[in-house]
Amino acid sequence: MRDPNAIDFWRGFALITIFINHIPGNTFERYTFSQYGISDAAELFVFLAGWSIGIATRGRDGNPEPPGRSVVRLLARTVEVYRAQLTVMLLALALIAGAALLLDNPLILEWHNAGGFFADPIQSVCGMALLTYQLGYFNILPLYVLLIGIAPVFVLVGRVSLVAALALSVGVYLASLVFGWNLPSWPGEGDWFFDPFCWQLLLVLGFVLQGWNLRTDLLRRWSRRLFPAGVAIVLLGIVLAVAEIRPDPMLVPEPRLLFTFEKTYLTPARLVHFLGVLLAFAPLYAVLAPRIGRVVGYLTQMGRNSLAVFSMGSILSLVGQLVRFQTGGGLLIDMLVAGSGLVGLGFTAWFVEWRSRSRSSRPRT
Amino acid sequence: MAQPQQIVTTAHMRPVQPSACPTRAFLTRLAPALAALAILAGGSAAAEQPANPLAGEAALSLECRVPGAQLYTVAQLGAVKAALAENRPLKILAIGGSAAPGASASYPAKLEAALEHALPKVDVTIDHRGLPGEIASGAAERLRTMVAEAEPDLVVWQVGTHDAIARVDVDAFASALTEAVGWMRSHGIDVVLVDPIYTASMAADVDYNRIVEAVRTVATQQGVPLVRRYEALHYLSSRTDKGEGHMLGRQFRLNDLGLRCMAEHVALTIATSLMRTEAPQEPKAAPAQPPLTEPQRAPG
Repeated sequence: MRDPNAIDFWRGFALITIFINHIPGNTFERYTFSQYGISDAAELFVFLAGWSIGIATRGRDGNPEPPGRSVVRLLARTVEVYRAQLTVMLLALALIAGAALLLDNPLILEWHNAGGFFADPIQSVCGMALLTYQLGYFNILPLYVLLIGIAPVFVLVGRVSLVAALALSVGVYLASLVFGWNLPSWPGEGDWFFDPFCWQLLLVLGFVLQGWNLRTDLLRRWSRRLFPAGVAIVLLGIVLAVAEIRPDPMLVPEPRLLFTFEKTYLTPARLVHFLGVLLAFAPLYAVLAPRIGRVVGYLTQMGRNSLAVFSMGSILSLVGQLVRFQTGGGLLIDMLVAGSGLVGLGFTAWFVEWRSRSRSSRPRT
Repeated sequence: MAQPQQIVTTAHMRPVQPSACPTRAFLTRLAPALAALAILAGGSAAAEQPANPLAGEAALSLECRVPGAQLYTVAQLGAVKAALAENRPLKILAIGGSAAPGASASYPAKLEAALEHALPKVDVTIDHRGLPGEIASGAAERLRTMVAEAEPDLVVWQVGTHDAIARVDVDAFASALTEAVGWMRSHGIDVVLVDPIYTASMAADVDYNRIVEAVRTVATQQGVPLVRRYEALHYLSSRTDKGEGHMLGRQFRLNDLGLRCMAEHVALTIATSLMRTEAPQEPKAAPAQPPLTEPQRAPG
């Protein structure tokens, strides 16, 4: 088990934020940082996943492990995430269908595009296996499967040159912004909510920056120097978000995706804002860690078990939505939903670690 | 041009016959729509029989019949009218509403068929997109990108269900919807709103009804046509007491029916609204299209 560190801390923080933001309309949503900027916790989550790949594909001494082992390691992780996605989808659909039956309310079947599944189960079940059928708010894991699936390419190129890996990634990113590349949804028209061709950039960026951070002191020095710029970007983001100022997609010049704030395509404005957030808040962990030990312990434990916590968070946020719907919401309900969710997520992280401990200490039966 | 004038008179005429039989009353109320279809059809045969009840039978299928007053409110559709006047294909972006049992895949196809039936000389292309999330938080932004990508003449938007489910604040919903509709109108795109679905389980729900009300208010304020799906389904539910059962109970059956009828209801609303729309200046109408229903004025 890893000791508490900044990566796990921020990952835990992103997980909590995503959980709260996935219960739309709830009171606490407006207190998450996603409401005060252009980018949000999804960016943080994917970036840290890339950073973690950098850590995982190196030995304790910081030297890269053999390429074959990295490829197999990433393949194993892909299978693990894919399995989590299937499980979460099945449970979500069952929750939706069960609630509709129990409450005798067909409206619930409309929840997050689930209606398509119940209308066309034959196509949808194929789409589910292919990851092209996604429920609203359940679209990060499919992205994650795909990104880790293609990560070996970038990891192997990165073995030769990190700059080349980044250049390849930026090239794909810019091309998809200009040409509007995205993966299609099926069944049903439309595209993926998170465009993998664009979002891969954050994963690769995390991976490459981790490598540079390990090799030289340059990154750390520059990030200290750019700290004021980061703060300025964050402040600008707050102003834009609060005043609801954003470019009109009908008025910006072609190619439009270079200029809008669109989440699906991780547009440049979002990327720049995210880098600003990174510069402004990265030093915060060192300041906070000694002062809020328990919170750090709670968040880092979640960060260490991010897949399980994320999956459980998706399910719990759906349960929270159903509870809010049936009770009509309100501050008391929101406190109950958010509170039990946070306890549930903490328990999930603890449970996963307890299980792996008890597994490794006892021979399997 | 005496004949078209006659049609208009018929269209705006109040029902004169005593209407003991409900079907008859219904058909009379449908007259404006019939006239609209007749005008749009443009053929002389249609023009000669503006209020042919048999044409009305075709306008809405039997299971979907709802009196016009309970089905829609009409408003101008300038961009659609302009597209028709220029003889271009009509580009429609249908947004929102996944769907429930039995209907999802068929809605865009049904809408296209219903519209091409109502507007026989017009090539209609429909792009159907789901819009996950709440209008009050984020989805309105996504809508803007979708509209910018598709650049449609008309957006048919099923709106409110997600926000109602998420229990978002009604005022926040209404202001976000107003802004989104206003934005589309400011770019010369017509909008038809479709309010949330009716189910008996939500009939007494105050918040839900306030969302339905908010959609209606915004439609009126912004001057866009509204398909009153909630009321239409309410009407159908009171009518179909002994309707065929569904393995999941009557509520589910009603939902299914509502979705099947929606395409027809939307098409009728568009056709009726078009009939009330003043023509754009100097329409390059083909000879087949009879010129216009009212004295020509510059679009307001």
